[in-house]
Amino acid sequence: MDDNLKIVGKRVVRSDSYAKVTGSALYTADLKLPGMLVAKVLRSPYPHAKIISIDVSGALKVPGVKAAVSGFDAYGVKWGVFRYTQDHAMLPTDKVRYIGEDVAAVAAVDEETALEGLSRIKVEYEPLDAVFDPVESMKDGAPQIHNEYKNNINIHVHIDVGEVDKAMAKAYLVREDTFKAAGEAYAMMEPYAVVASYANGYLDLWMPNAGPHVRAKALSNLLKIPLNRVRVRHINSGGAFGGRSEVAPGDLVASLLTIKSGRPVKLVLSREENATSSRQVHDIVATVKTGMKKDGTIVAKDYKVIYDGGAYSSTGPIATSIPFYVYEECYRFPNVRYNGYRVFTNKGIRGMYGCHGRAFLAGNEAQMDMMAKELGLDPVDVRLKNGLTAGEMTATKSKITSCGLKDTIIEASEKTNFKKRWKKKEKNRGIGMGCVAIMCGFPMGFRSGSSCYVKINDDGQVTLVTGLVDNGQGNESMVIQVASEVLGVPMEDINLVNADTEVTNLDPGAYSQAAAYVGANAVKAACENVRKRLISIASEKLGVPESDIDLKDRIAYSIKQPDKRMPISWIAREAFFRGEPIVATGSFFPDIDFEREWVTRPWGQMAGTFSFGTSVAEVEVDYETGKIIVPRFTAAHDCGRPINPMAVEGQMEGSIQQAGIATITEGNMWYRGFLLNPDLLEYKVPLACDMPEIDTIIVSSHDPKGPFGAKEGGLTVRMNAYSAIACAFTNATGILFEELPLTPDKVLNLLEKNKGVK
Amino acid sequence: MKKEITFNLNNEETTVEVDPKWTLLYLLREVLNLTGTKEGCGYGECGACTVIIDGKAVNSCIFPVLEAEGKNIITIEGLAKDGQMHPLQKAFIEKGAVQCGFCTPGMIMSAKALLDEKKNPTDEDIKEAIEGNLCRCTGYVMIIDAIKSVAAGR
Repeated sequence: MDDNLKIVGKRVVRSDSYAKVTGSALYTADLKLPGMLVAKVLRSPYPHAKIISIDVSGALKVPGVKAAVSGFDAYGVKWGVFRYTQDHAMLPTDKVRYIGEDVAAVAAVDEETALEGLSRIKVEYEPLDAVFDPVESMKDGAPQIHNEYKNNINIHVHIDVGEVDKAMAKAYLVREDTFKAAGEAYAMMEPYAVVASYANGYLDLWMPNAGPHVRAKALSNLLKIPLNRVRVRHINSGGAFGGRSEVAPGDLVASLLTIKSGRPVKLVLSREENATSSRQVHDIVATVKTGMKKDGTIVAKDYKVIYDGGAYSSTGPIATSIPFYVYEECYRFPNVRYNGYRVFTNKGIRGMYGCHGRAFLAGNEAQMDMMAKELGLDPVDVRLKNGLTAGEMTATKSKITSCGLKDTIIEASEKTNFKKRWKKKEKNRGIGMGCVAIMCGFPMGFRSGSSCYVKINDDGQVTLVTGLVDNGQGNESMVIQVASEVLGVPMEDINLVNADTEVTNLDPGAYSQAAAYVGANAVKAACENVRKRLISIASEKLGVPESDIDLKDRIAYSIKQPDKRMPISWIAREAFFRGEPIVATGSFFPDIDFEREWVTRPWGQMAGTFSFGTSVAEVEVDYETGKIIVPRFTAAHDCGRPINPMAVEGQMEGSIQQAGIATITEGNMWYRGFLLNPDLLEYKVPLACDMPEIDTIIVSSHDPKGPFGAKEGGLTVRMNAYSAIACAFTNATGILFEELPLTPDKVLNLLEKNKGVK
Repeated sequence: MKKEITFNLNNEETTVEVDPKWTLLYLLREVLNLTGTKEGCGYGECGACTVIIDGKAVNSCIFPVLEAEGKNIITIEGLAKDGQMHPLQKAFIEKGAVQCGFCTPGMIMSAKALLDEKKNPTDEDIKEAIEGNLCRCTGYVMIIDAIKSVAAGR
């Protein structure tokens, strides 16, 4: 069937777009329930302080305030993704650890009353010394943020493969550099919002989330309510990018308030609160030491990377590891040592970003170019020489099953005339290349797989039930397209019921890049089971063998005698008559080594497959003002077979904005625990006029286990676009960057420090 | 103290009691249930709340509600006519200009104000018209394509 696809691989209109262009698509803040209250949160004004007391009784005296809560009304449970990272109470009772932390909350009949209620809450604090820099935080004598973690080291990931020191000693060329990068703001257009409604022991919740099942599980733990009484429901999400993966403090706040008041509660964060108190991206400092042979072969890598983890563990071990893994899944490292430290500071809670670790990736790639230049080689050849190929193992023992890395390097470099332009560059202009691999899923225990349930209704229309979630990237439309292909019915005949924890089965969610490879594979499996039943009945009714039957345009027909045909709706009715309606489930569970653990056993198969990509940026550097202009950006991506090329290109273009242009504009700025740019005027999200000319290339490839050969689509660009810009800057100026973002002030400093460098 | 105002909303004369403290966005979303217009920031930086007032694209989140008196206001809900989508809505769908969709209504309203004013906008005109509308998903490429295709098709 693969060779003769009817709709998979076609540029189809997304199923969710009609509602979104007419304004009828509902997002959390649009919801209105009868008797619904408005919630507001009282936040910590201190970066670090002991809580002496919290008294919410004053709020309750305000007419119209229906509930007021603090951590003392919660159940004493702390959240953490892992058993060893459970340190986040969401509403603390011992001390506050960042400015903007949730301390107490009220629910009232309207916003004004809620704010009046907040003003009556009394909190007594005893301010403590705070620490804001992760390097300072690791030193002896620094203020201790959590008692359990010595030197504020939350997580230490240590990987040691081969004999790094020996290989380094024998290398022809060794170079060590240190790079820094400010964390970014997710700046999703929809500020965080949650609606919670509790009645008769059942809790319903709506919020933008990238994994409804993991969210429900976290709330079930925090609220001590069984899973089948905590229902996270489907709602549109105005962007996630990694920032909607974990349970949010607001989820607990809204839940406690609805339980207390017995009325539905809506909490909508302001733009500033979304920046200070939802999640932020890790700032990092990366030291990269590389040993190369004379021919450009990498013989050893030695890393020390410090992640500013903010106040709590969050996805700690994963966040501390991912930047390294997406790099080792791309290049061959016979000897490698990685020491990743995630360190607590008195800053906001952190999460994964579609591309966190930019200093790490961009630093590696820009350093590689400097070394190539020294050896008289060019970046294309060095990348081709060191790039992994299908069948190889990564340093930490993940097998690469399909790999189009080489094709992406060649196509992107040929399209941009890279080799020639890198060597003979024009004045103040440069070109640079970044490569990366992305794991399509990662170990999440039994939550790593997905299941789907399909039924054919008596009019032949299809209902698809899956836990898969869409944060705007097009996952919903993707699985409808897959089902349409398998079942031979148009996309508009398929109704999707998804991302609702009470009616769907487990799904890993959208944050481990698993939606296409895992979620769509489960949908395909379920639809194939339905297809078998449809064909079996059609074969019997039409009197032709099953192998002679195909499904197309709502019809089952004989391939050899096309006049022998019957509508799928008739088959469905026949099945109902037989008391065996056409329903089926299907599941997909990726080949992952579940012995693998992020800290204690960092080796084994990471994911079922990996996507690959190469980005090429062209830059102009203004030596007078320090401003970098990006006239053109080219990205090539191996996403297996793209299910909807238009959707993949959209992801790639968005990534060029969010990671590529971000290299020169975006970064959170801090002063003693205050986020200085929590809004969209000071935090520079690129505008239409900031965007370069863009060329996206999807290289043709086919993953043996992906649904119709598909893999993750789009994220490689989000990870390697930084590298491309940083490398182009190096090519233009001869200077290695030290710190991202490359804003004019930092560029001028670099130019001044390196005067005379060619 | 509430006050009565009258204005034309999506081709219908509308009279409502408002609190002078409200913004137009509050009236649209919370009172009139027109939630297609989104609030992304609340102070005129992101453009998600864009509506058209007397032919101009305006951030409704910083537009005092009393100023709506006597005005002609169009929101995303008022674009389709007789069950037919506006050409911009169709183009946004067909060109893949919609991802998470949160900026989409505001983006379409800014584009409409531009196309109503200029017959043949250049690429620069389009970029300028939507420079107050932030999008975090698309890189703007397909949005600009969609707007261009409508301009070219008339």
